[in-house]
Amino acid sequence: MTTLHSTSTHSRPIPNPAKSLITKLNMGTGVVVGVIFAFATYFAFRPAADASGFYNQQNKALLGAMLMWSVGFLIGIGAFIGPFRWLIGKDLTAEEQLYLAGDGQGIKRYFKYCTDHKVVGIQYLVGVTTMLAVGGGMAMMIRTSLAVPGGHFIGATIYNSLVGLHGITMIVAMIIVATGPFGNYIMPIMIGARDMAFPRLNALSWWVLFTAIPVLCSAWFLGGIPTGWTAYAPLSIQAGPGMNSFIGTILIFAVSTAVAGMNITATVIAMRAKGMKWNRVPIFVIGATMSVALAIPAFPTFMLAMVQTATDRVFNTGFYDANVGGSGWLYAHLFWIMGHPEVYVILLPGIAILMEIAPVFVRKPLFSYNAAIMGFAGIAGLSVLVWAHHMYISGWTPTLNGPFMVTTEMISVPTGLLFLVMLGTIWRGKPWMKLPMLGLFAVMWNLLIGGITGIYLSDVPADNYLHGSMFVTAHFHYTLMGAALTGAVAGLAYWFPKMTGRMLNEPAGYISFWFTQIGFQVLFLGMFIAGAEGQPRRVVSFAAMYKYTNMISTAGAYLVGTGFIVLLWAVIHSWRKGVIAPQNPWGAKTLEWTVPYPVPLENFDEAPIITSDPYGYGKGN
Amino acid sequence: MSDNTQHEEELSPTPGQRVSNLFKRNDVRRTTVFTFLWTALFVILGLYIYPKFMPEVMSVDMKAMERIMVAFTVISAPIAGLVLGITTQALTNRHTGNTPPPDGPAVRTNGPVVVVWSVVSGLFCLIAVVWGLVELNTFANAATVDERTALHVEVVGSQWVWSFKYPELGVESDKLMLPVDRPVTFDITSADVNHSFWPLQLGIKIDANRLQTTHINTTPTKLGRLDVKCAELCGLYHAYMETSGEVMTSDDFNNWVTSNGGHVA
Repeated sequence: MTTLHSTSTHSRPIPNPAKSLITKLNMGTGVVVGVIFAFATYFAFRPAADASGFYNQQNKALLGAMLMWSVGFLIGIGAFIGPFRWLIGKDLTAEEQLYLAGDGQGIKRYFKYCTDHKVVGIQYLVGVTTMLAVGGGMAMMIRTSLAVPGGHFIGATIYNSLVGLHGITMIVAMIIVATGPFGNYIMPIMIGARDMAFPRLNALSWWVLFTAIPVLCSAWFLGGIPTGWTAYAPLSIQAGPGMNSFIGTILIFAVSTAVAGMNITATVIAMRAKGMKWNRVPIFVIGATMSVALAIPAFPTFMLAMVQTATDRVFNTGFYDANVGGSGWLYAHLFWIMGHPEVYVILLPGIAILMEIAPVFVRKPLFSYNAAIMGFAGIAGLSVLVWAHHMYISGWTPTLNGPFMVTTEMISVPTGLLFLVMLGTIWRGKPWMKLPMLGLFAVMWNLLIGGITGIYLSDVPADNYLHGSMFVTAHFHYTLMGAALTGAVAGLAYWFPKMTGRMLNEPAGYISFWFTQIGFQVLFLGMFIAGAEGQPRRVVSFAAMYKYTNMISTAGAYLVGTGFIVLLWAVIHSWRKGVIAPQNPWGAKTLEWTVPYPVPLENFDEAPIITSDPYGYGKGN
Repeated sequence: MSDNTQHEEELSPTPGQRVSNLFKRNDVRRTTVFTFLWTALFVILGLYIYPKFMPEVMSVDMKAMERIMVAFTVISAPIAGLVLGITTQALTNRHTGNTPPPDGPAVRTNGPVVVVWSVVSGLFCLIAVVWGLVELNTFANAATVDERTALHVEVVGSQWVWSFKYPELGVESDKLMLPVDRPVTFDITSADVNHSFWPLQLGIKIDANRLQTTHINTTPTKLGRLDVKCAELCGLYHAYMETSGEVMTSDDFNNWVTSNGGHVA
């Protein structure tokens, strides 16, 4: 990108390369072109009702339409204008590039292919919030259905679909919940960069992700996803047309995470301010980078697994079909080679946010920066060696259960270091009980419970009983929701003033915190007991003996739901009418608090020079 | 020489004095109390709550499983206690209001603490690993030894029923009947998608895969009712893919076999 000298937001004229096509393209043109592509593809491949191999051809038409929707949308929004110019030996003009940065275009730029990292951050924030709200709504329906035994509320078809859709919606949302909004909006400012390393790829990562959302929603109209989010073969081969939505979503999402992951990693490696050596990088940046770097090898295997599922469904290739020499175990391996690093992709940024928050709110330096890095690196490194603990009882090679148990239990050591860093930071301090800081205390408890129950599950003889039970469901909700989501909400409360210029409504924030956290304990401690008693996961109906634990869980779920509705109200209300925030409301020392709101294009008038790490709090520092 | 030593002792306290000075501090005392309270809570949880809610122990595997749940909870109780003790102590020291709290001490790290913490969590990890490996080895040995005398049961999972075949006895059933105190080997396969064979009270579980046979062994040790479930989402009526069974005396079992058209070996 051409370097443009930034002066001030208001004095710069709005560039108007009137003849250029890019000024006429936006989300609307994207949707139009995408829909045309989708329908054209569908009608081109649509099978006749009496065609032989009807289901294969129907899968081909549907999946093709979904992927072409994504391609069409990106063409329609102008994502490929730059690459097309390269083909003919040109590039966007400087004026066009400035136009794409969206400066001074107000609310319209959020609906365009905008390269400003702050716009992309807000787009991610709104997108993620929407997905979490939809996924949460589905969770409420699941819990409502499970309030009483018998499963009469919604029936098995809808229930199984809800379980799959809730799962995949939440997983996708949680993967980007911290690195999307905060990784894009805050992180470049934190490292003193003017933008991401590849601003156009940044816009691409968001808009590719955006195209995955309608594809996922289409599952509702195609008969749902009956396989759970794991989409195990051969069940996924047997499943109806809704399965195409799952495959399409993952194929598109994998591209988005690959692009975003490489972009964030490159930015942190190459764009840090002068003097920001590796031991002066804020810990959130380290955690977020390790998270996205871990996703770079993980998601291609998921994509591969989905490509093979798709070819099995469309061309009868039989990768996972035992009848023709394939194996469901192959799918399980590919899935979990992604699946286990993926839970740490979700967890690490949440913890890193809390480590960023803790020093500010206890006015002490981060305790043992090196231990924090060793903790993150240890978890990231080990997490690629543990996948088969999800397959202890699959029977593929019982002899290897021992080694996988060893690697899995070793993760408790770097996880312990993360606890030590947070404990050491709050030790002998006076924690300032603002909204962001509350999250740290909740996570200490939630991650502890999630961690200890994880140790039972990592032990093969215990897993022989607990695998596939509600105990597992409760365990991973404690880590992903109790720790990672709580960390992300703390991050939202912390950076809300910088992203919106207003303070998050405090009373509503406290009410939301207590409702969600207390409800969460009721919900999932009840579920642990149901699992220990022997209730399997993903069941629409359960025996009368699990009546009370399930009723308690459902009651807890309503508390959590209420809490999140209050939070959503607080966010929307504060964004529109909240108290105007000072530039640095928490007195923090990281770079994002040195810039005003609204953050000017290219962030800094003068490039900052870093002379120490940002944790110089405390007496004598 | 002796003067010199004495001089040094006056300057720096002995390790014992340092520990006793440490425990004179209010925050350390409070933390210690909270740590004991939280540890006690986790010990109670491990010793009473889990065994109370888990199904009846009817096999060696279930016994081992329950022992692990109890032991791991109790062993991790002090660590959980310390984490929550420090956290609770920090809460008693909280600062509210709209201005930031006063600066704390600028402690950036503490080498010995990091080392001790890592070593202790490493030891805990080692205990868990060794315990698990020993159990695995015990089961593997038992399976080999029992192989000659074991009763073979062929289990087939299909959407959405379990069926049990006793090839040596010439009996088929949709209920899982087992004689007590005799080793049993399950050979499990699936007629369609993945299922997971889970006889609750026996504490074992293994997937049923299409055109693959998986094996698992156990020895029922107690008479009583068995609940058999499917633990892998297998389609529409996954939730209803369950059956029951019974562990009976070997006389009762033989009677059941002969009355169902089988022959007792």
